[in-house]
Amino acid sequence: MTKTDTTDAGPPPGAPAPRGRTRSGLGRALLGAAGIAAFLTLWEAVPRLGLVSDRYLPPATEVLGVLAQRATTPGFWAAVGDTLHGWALGLAIAFAAAVVLGFTLGALPRVRAFTTSTVDFLRPIPSVALIPLAVLLYGTDIRSTLLLVVYACFWLIYIQVLYGVADVDPVAEQTARSYGLGRLARIRYVVWPTTLPYLMTGLRLAAAVALILSITAQLIIGTPGIGQEIAIAQSSNAVAYVYALIVATGILGVLINMGVRVLERRVLRWHTSVRGEATA
Amino acid sequence: MRHRLLALAAGTALLATTACGGGSQDPPSSEGGDELTQLTAGVIPIVDVAPVYLGVQEGIFEEHGIDLALETSAGGAAIVPGVVSGEFDLGFSNVVSLIVAREQGLPLATLTNGATSTGEQGADFGGVFVAEGSDIESAADLEGTTVAINTLSNIGDTTVRNSVRVAGGDPADIDFIELPFPDMPAALETGQVDAVWAVEPFGTVIRQAGGQQITSNFVDTDPDLSVAAYFTSEQRLAEDPELFDSLTAALQESLTYAEDNPDAVREVLTTYTEIDQSVVDELVLPRFPAEIDRDSVQALADLMLEDGLIDAEADLDTLIR
Repeated sequence: MTKTDTTDAGPPPGAPAPRGRTRSGLGRALLGAAGIAAFLTLWEAVPRLGLVSDRYLPPATEVLGVLAQRATTPGFWAAVGDTLHGWALGLAIAFAAAVVLGFTLGALPRVRAFTTSTVDFLRPIPSVALIPLAVLLYGTDIRSTLLLVVYACFWLIYIQVLYGVADVDPVAEQTARSYGLGRLARIRYVVWPTTLPYLMTGLRLAAAVALILSITAQLIIGTPGIGQEIAIAQSSNAVAYVYALIVATGILGVLINMGVRVLERRVLRWHTSVRGEATA
Repeated sequence: MRHRLLALAAGTALLATTACGGGSQDPPSSEGGDELTQLTAGVIPIVDVAPVYLGVQEGIFEEHGIDLALETSAGGAAIVPGVVSGEFDLGFSNVVSLIVAREQGLPLATLTNGATSTGEQGADFGGVFVAEGSDIESAADLEGTTVAINTLSNIGDTTVRNSVRVAGGDPADIDFIELPFPDMPAALETGQVDAVWAVEPFGTVIRQAGGQQITSNFVDTDPDLSVAAYFTSEQRLAEDPELFDSLTAALQESLTYAEDNPDAVREVLTTYTEIDQSVVDELVLPRFPAEIDRDSVQALADLMLEDGLIDAEADLDTLIR
């Protein structure tokens, strides 16, 4: 594997590795850059040509200028910090709870069957529907953000863990048993490696959803962070700053996604989907 | 089934809040002389709450032994629940919402006035605006038009309907649509709506784009209309009446300070909003009398009854302290 593969987004695990990656990787990077340039040009042109009033959609240069200027103020970074804090903490809590419960219930088929109906009822409830409850419980505290983030992310990861645990190869399991591996050893050497790719998929999905919900909570409830800044800018008619903040959340989302993918590749470097060998 | 589960969850959660609400939030009741009592206010980051920001900045709350933290809640959605659950010690809300909440059985009580109409027709901090060149020239012309307001069945449509009645029109066939204030200037300009009911800073934004205020619905209701108020819950009030006396005094002093120093108000706006300086310089400030004008609130409550926002005569004696 070349170094470029760990830094760019790359194909999802499971996709066959294309040939001549370095060359096409570079070409893709160039195409990507050209795409962004074209998008920014379009954004710049639409208000400049008067297709949309620049009072409601300031040109790209103005928005990016505002973003660059705001990026020098501590208030901006405090908002970014608050957002990342809610994101990371919520994701961590959901991850820990989902892993513990997923492995436990995965190992206890009867308990799992007993809880399935409840899980299937709770899981489709959109996290945003819990906003009134969050407001009632925690007001504009960060715990409101955490409630929404943890709720949404927990199910994503939990379900993946259950699938993973259920995917354990019975032959491998039997083999481990006949070699005399205990319950914990079997979890460590059989269940965990099988579940890990599922777990990473859950984490990747949850990382994106956690950012969405953390911004949503800030925007609607008013917990501190970028979302709250957007709401304040909006109620102040600071249109360019609103767009600047939206761009900032986009950048944050891209960085988070890249980070999780790098993590995924490291953790699953032994796995066929990442090693790039065709699965038999 | 899902609803029942949710209700169950909500019920348990409510119990949990009431259970922890008692202990943790209790401030150290003014023991030593210098010890400040920490209070949290839920406010909306708009022009109307400038006096509390000024009060904090000028140390007025500290002089009364209070360390006031201001938590902003963008739409104000979190404020009333926050005050009821004890998360906030006080909040800021328009009086129509308070009267409705009170009728629904929420134990709210006002502390002081919040913001009052300027009383000047055509130059109030909130009013009905039309785009440049519109043929709607007065409230009576609003008959049969589409008017945007921020929240249906609240202070906006109630007072606008009254303005139309006062001008001799029939408000029955006005089509009110709900639109957030920030979206109003664009909606007006693109002709999506015929008129909007907007407050500052969006009134100024609309005026700067060539629009104009055709009627001042607060003034039509009462030139001294108390539009919004600071409030708390009866429970908090009963827990520590002395503390709330100091708080009320500090709020009143802050309001008076703001009323006397409009330049300071404009200046403090730039600390908690992102309003452009050119708008800050031009926007119409509300008046900030310390006391609620009881008669004006009564006039508003009568309109609410007439429009069916409340089913029975509002009990202002319990709401206004």
